[in-house]
Amino acid sequence: METSDSTQGAGEAESADVHHKIGQLTRQLHDTLRELGMAEKLRGSAEELPDAKSRLSYIAKLTGEAAEKVLNRVDQAKNQHDYIAAETHRVKALMIQDPVAAVAKGHIMNFLMDMEQSSQQIDQHLTEIMMAQDFHDLTGQVIARVVNLATTIEDQLVGLLIQTAPPHTQIAKPAPSVEGHPTLQGPVVNPEGNTEVVTSQSEVDDLLASLGF
Amino acid sequence: MANPLRFLVVDDFSTMRRIVRNLLKESGFSEADEAEDGVVALQKLRNSNFDFVVSDINMPNMNGFQLLAEIKKDEKLKHIPVLMVTAEARKEDIVLAAQQGAAGYIVKPFTKATLEDKLIHILKKTGLQ
Repeated sequence: METSDSTQGAGEAESADVHHKIGQLTRQLHDTLRELGMAEKLRGSAEELPDAKSRLSYIAKLTGEAAEKVLNRVDQAKNQHDYIAAETHRVKALMIQDPVAAVAKGHIMNFLMDMEQSSQQIDQHLTEIMMAQDFHDLTGQVIARVVNLATTIEDQLVGLLIQTAPPHTQIAKPAPSVEGHPTLQGPVVNPEGNTEVVTSQSEVDDLLASLGF
Repeated sequence: MANPLRFLVVDDFSTMRRIVRNLLKESGFSEADEAEDGVVALQKLRNSNFDFVVSDINMPNMNGFQLLAEIKKDEKLKHIPVLMVTAEARKEDIVLAAQQGAAGYIVKPFTKATLEDKLIHILKKTGLQ
């Protein structure tokens, strides 16, 4: 028992020592960052990370919705196409059997009206499939902002590396990154509870109407 | 029946330029050209005749607000209606666009019906249709 207690005591002392050393290192790093003026910059970037996570979730949501929309519309268009093929086959058989009766009984007229309606519906499906591709523009803007954040963090870390490098090592300073348009926000990824943004086209119209437009 | 009005579609994303041009075509406006930013748009506007501009806002080189300002201060171009089609949904951006002379403002993502409604409204208001 005594041996076990002394081993445990030594282990606890060692653990406390490691903890103390980590604490010292953390304090040292914190002080160094503060002295170099990097703490605020890095904190600013760290605060943007949750925003970057929201933006990536937004991309996943938008691309998922677009894929779902396209697949649904393709299913509907294919059903419509199958119907056209079946009807064409049926009316063709009627025409071969008795062309006069096919016209006289209205089969041909009904078929033509059906085809007109079906082609309009297929056209609507194709338009919706085309519109679903707008996710490329919206997600592209969001991705650009996330890449910009990653670049900023990288620049700051490289800056830190240069400033803390031992005197005998020479690290070339990277060229500054080109800033985008900081005043423009791009797609709103979290509109809930944000009174500064509109969430629908009708809100845009109401706002413009209130301004006399 | 095809409408002879000539459109310029300005957006840095080729997918969106294609979508807007296709929608214009479906609505009967088959005469359309495109530009990837405000700089190229301004060059095309000054070198050719256009009746209508559909422009994004967030673009490199020259954004939509800058393009709108350039169009409105140019005596030869200022009569051309500019419809903003953008993901910028902040109220201050919408107000700024209206104050700078935009003819309309559509927030992405939008529908074919929304674009058609705005086009018809602006064309009637400006006497182009």
